[in-house]
Amino acid sequence: MDFQVVWDNLSYFFVGRYPKGPLGGVGLTLYLAVVALALSFVGGLILGLLSISRNRAVRWVSSSFIQIIRGMPLLMVIFWMFFLLPALFGKGMPASMTVITALTLFTSAYMSEIVRAGIMGIPKGQTEAAVSTGLTHRQTMLYVVLPQALRNMIPSFVNQFVSMIKDTSLAFIVGVAELTQIATQVNNRTMMYPTEIFLFIAVIYFVICFAFTELSRWLERRLAYTKSI
Amino acid sequence: MNYQFDWAVVTSGKYFEWLVSGVVVTVKISVVSIALSFLLGLVIAVMRMSRFRPVYWFAHGYLEFFRNTPLLVQIFFWYFGSYKVLPDAVNQWLNAQGFEFAAAVIALTIYTSAFIAEDIRSGVRSIPKEQMEAARSAGFSYVRSMFYIILPQAVRLTIPPLINQFLNLTKNSSLAMTIGVAELMYQARQVESYTFKGFEAFSAATVVYVGLSFAITGLMTLYDRKVLQPIKVR
Amino acid sequence: MARKTALVIAAAALVAAMFGSALAADTLADVKKKGVLVAGVKDSTPPFGSVDPNTKEYVGYDVDFIRAIAKKAGVKAEFQPVTSANRMPMLQEGRVDILAATMTKTPERAKQIDFSYTYFLTGQKFLTKVGTVKSLKDLEGKAIGTAKGSTSEQNVAKAVPSAKILSFDDYPQAVLALIQGKVIAVTTDESILAGQLGKLEKNPASKGKFEIPDVQISEEPYGLGMRKGDTNWVKFVNDTILEMEKSGEAKKLFDKYFAPDGDNPMKRGTFKITADERGIK
Repeated sequence: MDFQVVWDNLSYFFVGRYPKGPLGGVGLTLYLAVVALALSFVGGLILGLLSISRNRAVRWVSSSFIQIIRGMPLLMVIFWMFFLLPALFGKGMPASMTVITALTLFTSAYMSEIVRAGIMGIPKGQTEAAVSTGLTHRQTMLYVVLPQALRNMIPSFVNQFVSMIKDTSLAFIVGVAELTQIATQVNNRTMMYPTEIFLFIAVIYFVICFAFTELSRWLERRLAYTKSI
Repeated sequence: MNYQFDWAVVTSGKYFEWLVSGVVVTVKISVVSIALSFLLGLVIAVMRMSRFRPVYWFAHGYLEFFRNTPLLVQIFFWYFGSYKVLPDAVNQWLNAQGFEFAAAVIALTIYTSAFIAEDIRSGVRSIPKEQMEAARSAGFSYVRSMFYIILPQAVRLTIPPLINQFLNLTKNSSLAMTIGVAELMYQARQVESYTFKGFEAFSAATVVYVGLSFAITGLMTLYDRKVLQPIKVR
Repeated sequence: MARKTALVIAAAALVAAMFGSALAADTLADVKKKGVLVAGVKDSTPPFGSVDPNTKEYVGYDVDFIRAIAKKAGVKAEFQPVTSANRMPMLQEGRVDILAATMTKTPERAKQIDFSYTYFLTGQKFLTKVGTVKSLKDLEGKAIGTAKGSTSEQNVAKAVPSAKILSFDDYPQAVLALIQGKVIAVTTDESILAGQLGKLEKNPASKGKFEIPDVQISEEPYGLGMRKGDTNWVKFVNDTILEMEKSGEAKKLFDKYFAPDGDNPMKRGTFKITADERGIK
């Protein structure tokens, strides 16, 4: 094996055409993952709360929405967004925005389950106690249940971030210049080093994802410990 | 230019046949990979619980590496990258078989087996330790007690998360389109590029994927109610 | 949330109506207003479109045509990588203003988008290992690689029905499959194959091992793609490329990328950019 091809294109792998052009490579991968995760956090929270709403219709609609998204491959969601978004919001939306939207939609559906499980995990007694002190349902949710639930969910969120980083590789399909797309480009240009190139980016993904997996485990232990006090 | 819906494109004729053949390939690739990933997952899970350090470390590294790299990259690696690693004779034989299908199966199997191994391990951990001790004192070896006593129970408890992994695998098999495997997603895109009826083609594929996952989720709920709850309550 | 869901459902139902009408604006005016021309080009298909590893700039025959058009319009050129499979949606959804992406003009495509006059003429051939393919017969029942959504894919299925067609996201991946023996041939336009062969010749490991046998299955006139009914824009582009022919700039571009002693030797022959209807009638 000859890893010279990797060193020759190192800056291309990490930042793409930046600063001559838009950010790409590892930089874009992280950007896509961070933005989509932040949005999915909000989306998941909203969807999760709606799916345990006391209004039956709201509950039904949001649950079906979640189920449908979860039934689709992410690739399908990306194709749909690629197809529908311009029709909805007009032209000129960059492909990276489409991917962020697709990732957000997809991950929100999974996040909502985490949120729901987190809320369900808070003992009923707490809600009852809060309501009996005169708080409304909304206040109980906002000030008593959610803060605790969110804290317990932190490790799961970090795990979602790991999935998200892996999922950004699918942006390759619609020509967004994140790490996998950059690797294919370099591979297309050089032809002779697919083993080296794909091994290299696998290691990069691994380093990033493994770091966050470990963070999630550490948080889980730490939070479990303080909780028991 | 106004978009004209034409559902006939995907409900009959040549393009319908393409989509059906896509479903067949998706099912084939999924069934083969599910079977293999389950077996491999079992083996890795047992290795991961081994007290023999090298085996433990191998399984541990395997789990961490394959869970923390994107499936798409793994697919590319097996399809394009394994060429340099394998002997020529093996390459020629694989190519004659149509390597794209094999590469997709290998990637899906390895990726999913890592997740399955973790699920099985947590299933095993929920089986009381005394069972193992009892089995050992009855004269079973460690491996035999594992395979005859512990794993059968653990797998039964692990079935819901396992089914979930199988569902994920089926959805993930759509990535095989990138190396030319003519599965459902590939065919949907083919229909789009031949007819420009993307909306209809994607709808058809979506209905298949979502329908499949609803059916399986339904069965799982049933399993949980009829089989698992009675065990748990006991 | 219910509202959002409703919106999505409504969108699905209404996608049709909104599709065309929202996009059928005047691109020329648009481009001038925003000061940039966004073009969809290939990013790894030399000599038409690729990223120079040293300067990280786009280069190629297609790329230079876009630069010339942008210059004529007095705007900056920006490039968006596209593949054979996604280029038409990219254009129709308004992500790019024009396509210069090795695209063959066909009557079916002409129903979806408008084409400029032919700016490049080539034919579909095969890239193979030396001596393996002498006629179409040698391809029967074998695996042939090409790119998704290309005319090459559709032509070869007609020319060699018994072959197994493996379609990749773009040609270089198909060439990689050829190098590794996963397909017996890669088929597409000679001009693209010449670029790939040039790359293979430059590498000591593959030098002298590949060739493009003289087996042609179709004529491929390339056109720049624009949205349907974008009349002003089409006229502007057509006028520009006709002018380029007249001033000799078009020939100069051809010689720059396809010179006999260069990486992709090809003959221009009698081809000239004219107000033609190749491919679309």
